Amino acid sequence: MIFIVLFFLAFSLLLYVLLGGADFGAGILELFSSKTNQDITKKTIYRVMGPVWEANHIWIIILIVILWIAFPAYYKVMVTSLHIPITLMLLGITLRGVAFVFRHYDAYEDKSQYVYNWLFRVSSLITPIFLGMIFGAMVSGEISTKNTTSFYTVFMAPWLNVFSFLVGLFFASLCTFLSAVLLIGEADEEGYPVYVRKATIATVVVVILGFITISYGYFSNILFIKGMLNNTLSLFLIFLSALCLFPLWFFIRKGNRINSRIFAGLQVILIISVAIVPHFPNLLITKETSLNIFENSAPESVIRVLAISLLIGGSIILPGLFHLLKSFKLIKILEKE
Amino acid sequence: MENLDAARLQMAFTLIFHIVFACIGMVMPFFMVVSHKKWLNTGNPIYLKLTKSWQKGVAIFFVTGAVSGTALSFELGLLWPEFMEHAGPIIGMPFSLEGAAFFVEAIALGFYLYGWDKISPKFHWFTGIIVGVAGVASGILVVSANGWMNAPSGFDYVDGQFLNIDPIKALLNPAWFTQALHMTLAAFTATGFAVAGIHAYQVLKGKQKELHKKAFKIAITFGAIAAILQPISGDISAKDIAKRQPVKLAAMEAHYETSKGVPLYIGGIVDTEKKEVNYKIEIPNALSFLAFGDFNAEVKGLNDFPEDEIPNVAMVHYAFQIMVGIGGILMLAGLFFFFTNKKRKQWMRKNFFWKLFVFLTPAGFIALEAGWIVTEVGRQPWIIHKIMRTKDAVTPMPGIVFSFYLYVFVYTVLTVAVAWLLARQIKSLNNSPIQNV
Ligand code: HDD
Ligand code: HEM
Ligand code: HEM
Repeated sequence: MIFIVLFFLAFSLLLYVLLGGADFGAGILELFSSKTNQDITKKTIYRVMGPVWEANHIWIIILIVILWIAFPAYYKVMVTSLHIPITLMLLGITLRGVAFVFRHYDAYEDKSQYVYNWLFRVSSLITPIFLGMIFGAMVSGEISTKNTTSFYTVFMAPWLNVFSFLVGLFFASLCTFLSAVLLIGEADEEGYPVYVRKATIATVVVVILGFITISYGYFSNILFIKGMLNNTLSLFLIFLSALCLFPLWFFIRKGNRINSRIFAGLQVILIISVAIVPHFPNLLITKETSLNIFENSAPESVIRVLAISLLIGGSIILPGLFHLLKSFKLIKILEKE
Repeated sequence: MENLDAARLQMAFTLIFHIVFACIGMVMPFFMVVSHKKWLNTGNPIYLKLTKSWQKGVAIFFVTGAVSGTALSFELGLLWPEFMEHAGPIIGMPFSLEGAAFFVEAIALGFYLYGWDKISPKFHWFTGIIVGVAGVASGILVVSANGWMNAPSGFDYVDGQFLNIDPIKALLNPAWFTQALHMTLAAFTATGFAVAGIHAYQVLKGKQKELHKKAFKIAITFGAIAAILQPISGDISAKDIAKRQPVKLAAMEAHYETSKGVPLYIGGIVDTEKKEVNYKIEIPNALSFLAFGDFNAEVKGLNDFPEDEIPNVAMVHYAFQIMVGIGGILMLAGLFFFFTNKKRKQWMRKNFFWKLFVFLTPAGFIALEAGWIVTEVGRQPWIIHKIMRTKDAVTPMPGIVFSFYLYVFVYTVLTVAVAWLLARQIKSLNNSPIQNV
C-alpha cells in the first residue's frame, strides 16, 4: 500500500514539475522576451494553458496533502525549519495566480495591464526559485532539528546559502526550458523560430547551471551531491541524461514537436530520479539524522485508506483531465491524428 | 505581540478571508447554471449575457479561492506543526478527498469556461452543475475536518499518543453533519443575499434594469430559501453543542451559574470580572428549552468549569448574538421576498423594496464570520477539543507577527483589487448592449 502512496507522490511531483513548471516557465520566457514576442507568448500560453491552468497548480496541493497524511514527521521538519522560504513561495503563488486572472479577465484593457503583466512575470521567476531553494535545503543536510541554537542557524542558514540558491536557479531554468519546448509545438509560423532559439538557449543554461550546482556541491562537501556521485545508479542516470541531450538538441533544432517534447519530459524524469535515488529511502537529511520515509510513515490503517482514496480519485481525475485536453484541442499535436 | 497570539490572529485572518472567496466560488456556479438553463429554455439573450458575466465572476473567485486555499494548506503546518503531525494522518481523509473534489471542480470549470460553442450544449451546461456540486462537496469535507477538531474521534488517546487510527470514523465524526449542513446553508444565504444586493443596487441606479432584476431574482431565491432553513439547522447545532461542548454553549449564552429553567439573554454587556451580564432582555426558560427541548432542563454554567478551560466569553457571546440576530432578520427578509413575489408584485416597482436588499448585502457574510468566531473561539483553549491545547501546537519559530502583517497587507490589497475588478465588470456589463443570438 505504501508504494501506491509513493507512486502518487512521485507522480504528482512529476506532473507539478512538468505542467506547473511549464507554466512558470512561460512567465519567465515573457520576462526575457522582446515586446512582440511577449505578446505572442502571452496569447499562446493562454490558449494552451487556459482551461487547465487551475488543474496544473492543484498538483502541489495533492503533493502537500499526501506528505502530511502519510509522512507527518517529514512534513513537520519541513514546515518548521523552512517556514520563511515557504511563506515567500506562497506569496509568489498568490501574486502570480491573481495577476493571471486579472490580465485575462479584466473587463477593460488599459494601462493596468502593464501592472498585471509585470507582476505575473516577476512572480513567475521568483516562485520556482524559492521552490528549488526549499528542495535544496531539504537535501543538503543543513537543517537542524535541535531547536537550541540561534534563530539564524535554525531558520535561515538551511536555505539561505549558495547551494540552495543554485538549486533554485536550476529549477527556474528547467521551467523555462520546458515552456520553450512546449511552445515550439504550439506557436504559429511567426513564433516558431523564436521558440526553437529560446529552447536551444534554455537547454544550454540548464546544462551549465546543473554542472555548476553539482560542482559547487562537490567542492563544498554537500552530503547530497557526494551521495549522488558515489551512487552508481545515479551516476548512470546522469550519464544517460547527458546522452539524451544529443537527440533532444537535434529534435529542437529540427523543430520536431513530438519528439522534442518526449525528450524534454524524459530529461525531467531523469533529473527527478537523480535527485531522489541516491538517498532513497532517506528523503530528508538533517544535521542530526536522516528521516527514513518507511520508518516515519503514518500507521498502516491511514496509509491503506489514503492509497484507496488516491486510486479512486486518480481514476476519476486522470481521464477527466485527458478528455479536457483533447476536447479543446489544447495540444496541437493531438489534432494531427 | 506574543507568538501564539500572532499565529492565532494570522490563522483567523486568512480563514476569514478565504471563506468569503470559497463561499462565492461554491455558490455562484448554481446561479450561473440556473441562468444558463433559462437561456437554453427561453432563448432570451438577457440570460445569456447574465450567464457569461456570472461565469467571469466564478472564474475570478475560483482563482482567488484557490490561491488563498493553497496558502492555507501550507499554513496549517507552518503555524501548527505539532497539531498537524498528529492530526494530519487522522483528518487527512477529508483533505485528500477535498483535493480530489477540487480537481474535479477545476476540470469541470475548464470545460465550462472554454466550452461555449465547442461541446454539446447539454454537456456544457452539465459541466456547470459539476462545478457547483464539487465545490459544495469540498466545502463539506473541510468542514468535516473542522468538526473533528470539535468532536475528535476515530483514534484512542493513550499517554499522549494517537493509536488505532480509523480515518473513516474521524471523517464521520459526531459534529460533521450538523456543521456541514449549517455551513452549506450559510454559504447559500450569504452569497445569495450579497449577489442579490449588488444587483438590487444596479436596479436602483436604473441601468440594464431588466437584466439586474432577473439576476436579483435568481440569487435571492437561493438566499431566501437557505435563510428560512438556517434557524432550524442552527437549533440542531445548538442542541448538539449542549451535549458535546457544554462550555461553548455556556460561553455563547454568557451563562455563569449552573441552574434549572435557564432564561435566554438577548443583547447585554458581558462583565467578565464580575461574571454577569448587564442590560439584557431575558426570555424565561428559553435556553433550557433551546438546548435540551425541556423548559426545566439544567444547563451547566461557566463557573462549573476549570478556569483554564474557558474561552473568551465576551467575544463568543457577542459573535453568537450577531449571528442569531442577523439570522432572524434574513429569515424575515426571505419570507418578505416570497410574499412580495406572490401577493404584492407592485412593491417591486418601489424603491424601498430594492433599498432593503441593498442594505442587507453584507449581512449574510457578517453572520457567517460571526458564526465561525463562535465555533473557533468557543473551542479555545483547545485546538483539538480536550486533547491538545492551542498553545502546545504552535510553531517554535519566533516572529510570526511579521508574517501576520505580511498577510494582512497582501490580502487587504487583494481585496481592494478584486472589488475594483468586479466594479469594472459591472460597469462594462451595463455599458454593452445585449445582442440577439
Ligand atoms: C449566514 C450565516 C449564518 C446564519 C444566518 C446563522 N448561522 Fe449559525 N453558524 C454559521 C453561519 C450562520 C457558520 C459560519 O456557518 C457556523 C460556524 C461553524 C459552522 O459549522 O457554522 C455557525 C455556527 C453555529 C453554531 C455553533 C456550531 C458549532 O460550534 O459546532 C450554532 C449553535 C449556530 N450556528 C446556531 C445558529 C442559530 C440558532 C441561528 C439562528 C438564526 C444561526 N446559527 C444563524
Ligand atoms: C483550514 C481550512 C481550509 C483549508 C486548508 C482549505 C484549503 C483549500 C485549498 C487548498 C483550496 C484550493 C483548491 C483549488 O485549487 O481549487 C481551497 C479552495 C476552496 N475552499 Fe478551502 N480550505 C479551508 C477552509 C475552507 C472552508 C471552511 C470552506 C467552506 C466551507 C472551504 C471551501 C473551499 C472551496 C469551495 C474552494 C474552491 C475554490 C473556489 O471555488 O473558489 N475552504 N481551499
Ligand atoms: C473558513 C471558515 C473559518 C473561519 C472564519 C475560522 C476562524 C478561526 C478563528 C477566528 C480562529 C482563532 C481562534 C482563536 O485562537 O481564538 C481559528 C483558529 C483555527 N482554525 Fe478555524 N475557522 C474556519 C474554518 C476552519 C477549518 C475548516 C479548519 C480545519 C480544518 C480550521 C482550523 C483552525 C485551526 C487549526 C486553528 C488554530 C488553532 C486554534 O486557535 O484553535 N478552521 N479559526
